[in-house]
Amino acid sequence: MDLPSRSILWRIVALIIGGIFIYAGVMKIFDPVGFANDIDNYKILPWPLTVRLAFYLPWLEILCGLAVILGLLYRGGLLILTMLISIFMVASVIAKARGLDITCGCFGHASRYLSFFGHLALDFVLLAVLVALWFTNRAQRQEL
Amino acid sequence: MKVSAVRQALLLIALALVPAIGEAIYFRNKVSWQSPIPASELVTVEQAQSWGDNVIWVDARPENEFERDHIPGAILLNEDRWNELLPQFLGQWSPEKRVVVYCSAQSCNASRDVAKRLRDEAQLKNVFILDGGWEGWLKNKR
Amino acid sequence: MNMNFLRLIGIVALTLAQGARAELKWEQTSVDLQPALGDKQAVAHFKYENVGKTPVHFTSVHASCGCTAAQTQNEQVAPGEKGEVTATFNIGGRTGTQVKTVTVQTDDPDPARARTVLTLKAVITPLLEIQPALVYWQNGEEPKPKIITAKANKAAAIKKLDVISSIPDFTAKVDAGSAPNEFRISVQPRDTAKAAYATLSIKPDSPVNTGNTFAVAARVMPPAPTGATPSTPATKSTLSTIRHDLATPAATAASPSQ
Repeated sequence: MDLPSRSILWRIVALIIGGIFIYAGVMKIFDPVGFANDIDNYKILPWPLTVRLAFYLPWLEILCGLAVILGLLYRGGLLILTMLISIFMVASVIAKARGLDITCGCFGHASRYLSFFGHLALDFVLLAVLVALWFTNRAQRQEL
Repeated sequence: MKVSAVRQALLLIALALVPAIGEAIYFRNKVSWQSPIPASELVTVEQAQSWGDNVIWVDARPENEFERDHIPGAILLNEDRWNELLPQFLGQWSPEKRVVVYCSAQSCNASRDVAKRLRDEAQLKNVFILDGGWEGWLKNKR
Repeated sequence: MNMNFLRLIGIVALTLAQGARAELKWEQTSVDLQPALGDKQAVAHFKYENVGKTPVHFTSVHASCGCTAAQTQNEQVAPGEKGEVTATFNIGGRTGTQVKTVTVQTDDPDPARARTVLTLKAVITPLLEIQPALVYWQNGEEPKPKIITAKANKAAAIKKLDVISSIPDFTAKVDAGSAPNEFRISVQPRDTAKAAYATLSIKPDSPVNTGNTFAVAARVMPPAPTGATPSTPATKSTLSTIRHDLATPAATAASPSQ
């Protein structure tokens, strides 16, 4: 059975991160077509795959967020969230390099309030926290 | 330990499928599974053709141009004889079809005007305009 | 002295140059029309005069749409001569503010002046505004009446509307609407078991004969084709082959349009 990190601080961090991903996932559940269009804006995947992912990913986010909060399947959840964030960051950079203007908010869903670099910085912070949680947990388990 | 994390991840991935499939079933008729609905009202000839039989073509040009040649299966609906042609068109329309209106070229306004009236007066959804118009269609045929 | 003399030369040269150019002067390049109820056409007159010293020749007079016919009174305009371009806009079933243009090309050597765009603006008020133009029932849907609203033009003083269905499967009843000059047409199918299509002709008792027929469509739709079943959603793919993104959690939190 996985145990989340014992220290209170890391516990709180895990709760916050889990909560963020659950919130993000729940937001997308209500508008799968909107989310599909967001993914489609990156012009990386064909539409039939995009629309199916749009249904699937939010639930994955929610489950992983729950995993992190509850401490069940904790490391699996961290692993998936880390990969999701990394892949998203790569996709953002590729889109930017191709000149796609995703953050302009023209399509209504992309954040209007953060610039491209603001987005990237935020993702990087999330990534760093996820990685920190991973290593903290590993350290805890090695102590056991 | 690392293996265990991967196994946990795989379990999460599998578990997420359950609600995802449930949601997909719930939304199954409200989603376009094969091709995206264009963000704007414009569609290209290729996009419209990918919709296959689900398209109703509307020719917004003057009658003499329609008589000369038109997209196969297209229905004439222009503003010259709007009051007479509209009910005839509506007799052929159905809610699951997508309407694509065209006029002679990219620059003409007739298709835009007809599309707007279809949305406003007949309250139709899924009304699109052919990018490039009749000219675009001819170019695509070559 | 010298400066004044040069200035004089300059002015004379300019005046001579002006006179040498052909010039067509337009009284108005934009005309607003208010066609009366029932008019089938709106005609705009764009008057011109050749204020230059050389004759002006029209090379083309071309309207922006097939609904507008435009021609010039004279192909060739002698210096001092006047004329007009007449634009006849066939209203057809159009309503609201209509803007049509006529592009005129002359043989003026200055390309900026050779091309003139004449604009005709017409505000067309329809005799009846009917909404929606289609009422329909799905196969098997409860055959409850559906309402069509007809708003009559105040100037037409319409007291009564007659609504006649092309087939007996639909009945239509007309009542006064909630506002003056408004009518409520209640349409009902006999049953929704089989597909049906009717044109409902709406005849107002107005003395104005617009020549425009008003009709709406009423339908019972054929039974729907079997709903498209989606192919299986994304099956579990190995992590390495998925390249996807997710809207940044913080971004979705920040964006209010969710």
